[in-house]
Amino acid sequence: MPTSNPDNEEGEFFGQFLNEYYAECDEHLTLVRRNLLALEAQVGRPQVDHALLDELFRSFHTLKGISAMVGLSAAEQLAHHLESYLRALRQQEAALDTRGLETLLTATSLLEQVIGARRDEKPSPDIGVVVEQLEALTLSGSPEPAPESSRADAPPHAAPANGAAAKRTWRVEFTPTPALAERGVNVNSVRARLQGLGEIVRATPQVRKQGEIAFLFVVATDAAESAFGGWEADGLTVAPFEEEAPAAVATAAPAPAVTLGAANVVRVDLARLDELMRMVGELVVSRARLEDQLKGLKRGGVPAATWRPLQETSHTIGRQLRDLRDGVMRVRMVQIGETFERMQFVVRDLTREGGKRVTLKTEGRETEIDKFLVERMTDPLMHLVRNAVTHGLETPAEREARGKFAEGRIKLCAATRGERVFVEVEDDGRGIDRARVAARAAARGLVEPGASLSDAALLDVLCAPGFSTRDEADRGSGRGVGMDVVRNTVEELGGSLLLETKRGRGTRFVVELPLTLALTEALIVGAGGQRFAVPQSAVREVFEAEPGAVKRFENNEVVAHRGGALPLVRLARLFNLEGEGQGAARVFVLGGGGGAGALGVVVDRVIGQREIVVRRIADPLARAAGVAGATELGDGRVVLILDVAALRQLAAGRL
Amino acid sequence: MASLRPLGAVAFSEAGSGLEAIERLALGAVELIILDLNMPDMHGVEVLEFVRGHHAYRELPVVVLTTRGDEASRAEALAAGATRYLTKPFAPQNLHECVRELLDAA
Repeated sequence: MPTSNPDNEEGEFFGQFLNEYYAECDEHLTLVRRNLLALEAQVGRPQVDHALLDELFRSFHTLKGISAMVGLSAAEQLAHHLESYLRALRQQEAALDTRGLETLLTATSLLEQVIGARRDEKPSPDIGVVVEQLEALTLSGSPEPAPESSRADAPPHAAPANGAAAKRTWRVEFTPTPALAERGVNVNSVRARLQGLGEIVRATPQVRKQGEIAFLFVVATDAAESAFGGWEADGLTVAPFEEEAPAAVATAAPAPAVTLGAANVVRVDLARLDELMRMVGELVVSRARLEDQLKGLKRGGVPAATWRPLQETSHTIGRQLRDLRDGVMRVRMVQIGETFERMQFVVRDLTREGGKRVTLKTEGRETEIDKFLVERMTDPLMHLVRNAVTHGLETPAEREARGKFAEGRIKLCAATRGERVFVEVEDDGRGIDRARVAARAAARGLVEPGASLSDAALLDVLCAPGFSTRDEADRGSGRGVGMDVVRNTVEELGGSLLLETKRGRGTRFVVELPLTLALTEALIVGAGGQRFAVPQSAVREVFEAEPGAVKRFENNEVVAHRGGALPLVRLARLFNLEGEGQGAARVFVLGGGGGAGALGVVVDRVIGQREIVVRRIADPLARAAGVAGATELGDGRVVLILDVAALRQLAAGRL
Repeated sequence: MASLRPLGAVAFSEAGSGLEAIERLALGAVELIILDLNMPDMHGVEVLEFVRGHHAYRELPVVVLTTRGDEASRAEALAAGATRYLTKPFAPQNLHECVRELLDAA
């Protein structure tokens, strides 16, 4: 029995708390990104959509509050200044111009980095410059004092100061004291005095450094400065509003965060959903066992009147299980739109640095995909988008010279077809230079010199580990993941990657993914006395090769297939298993779309197709190259699931 | 206020608006606030947020008076740090008990 250590418990609690914080930040930043993109369309308009500003304001307000709670003051400050600028926009004290929008975008990215740095326990980036920019913007209209009142909707009398062109705006601060109250100078009398002079634009309570309470009034009036004469004696300070707020006004501790998320939304740890899916999977396995036993009854000569009701019940359970599975799957689904919005930011960052002009179009944002898949696909998609901007698209001058729009187009689209999701990244740029890639590939011994590359072969070359079309990685692409990582990730997820490119016309990458990972259709094969499951999605076709058709070619085996030579690898030999079948070779073909990347895997038997529950092997001791996980079939026997991407690498080493 | 008379040696101070209520804090020691959410200038929740944002008043008992049917405001007030709430119309006895309890605890 471990003794409970309060420090540990506290640490654990705080860790949990921080996780919640990051999750909430993520949600708000997602919303912010979406709204900023919508805001972009409104740059330069005299009046910006208030609902949009309000929503942004609330997001930053919440971010400020929750950042303060976890003591992340850089994030709190940034959010605070963002909030102030938005308030100025909302009250038409500042106009939204391109510079303003750029600053909002930069500040948002920086906020994300500050939060990310905390999560990754890295030093926080400096926020000074951006804060200054935001302050300058906020003050360019009228300055915004530290907001104590935390509501997006200003108090009823705080009407925007428009229409007060001839008037001047003053900030009047009042610090109440018992002595003044004795003389009848209190917040009410001050308010009445100001109302007599003009219009009170804002009235907010403040906390000063020493904890004294003060009130800040902003008044628009056409009265002369002399009207305020002698007010100091009444504890009032008067200053033109155009000046920066005195530093004496300290920000009070931020107000508790206003919860904004829809009340009927529950945030759930993905691990719990995995667990749920695993249980559903076990039910599926149990039902398969029931079916097998029913078949046994039928064969055993039990009268139909006895087994038929059982059979019907089993069918009903089967249908209900499918509904249950779909239900659980739906819970895991998120719209891909969020990820697409991230890409907008990637493109924006790149265009700002690279001198290219790009419009990013998205389609099918509402397409739903498993949360786990989305998370894993974000980096690869980002890489494809980066590539499209930096390598795919030409400079505006080049484009115009070719009679294209100066502005390059990148299209992101997503769609569901059956049990698969298709995500496409398409640009209308220069297309991939096959000859150049072929020459580079030949130089590295990847292809025969002078070979002409099909789209599939081109993709294989681009995805070869370490292959780059550039001599040096530049800022845009070539950071972190390469094309090989993109393809490996896609294949690990049970998907496939396709490339289409036309010289001068553009390039399109198609990522095909399963809707979910937890359950998948698999081909069950036997080799060396063992059974294996291969994700159906990875298998292009299955055929039987006559023993004579397999040719030895140096150390490799190939078979003539569809007018080409298909390299073969024997599964039993790959895993060092005994007892290879001598008769006709059953071959299943992996990947390549019939192109150069295809690989034939020889097995002894093809047993059939089954829906399997994927269990990843997490224990590093039990992990083996080429095996992605394990599953259980109806008879309770464990079957290893092949890792297709690793298998290909393994085979490449052997061939 | 009449319902609180039986409390005995307690000084009352009534504020007609949110700013006025906050001013009271500056003018003299306050041990408990009974805060109506409906006020002419500030929303009660704003007042509450301000009060809780000030380090000196973090623990100050605040009883919030809400209107029947305004569950949103009530939830907001509790989130903002209200100690108790009473839904109007309430029995004077309830307010009395509530205040007594909070003052005894303080």
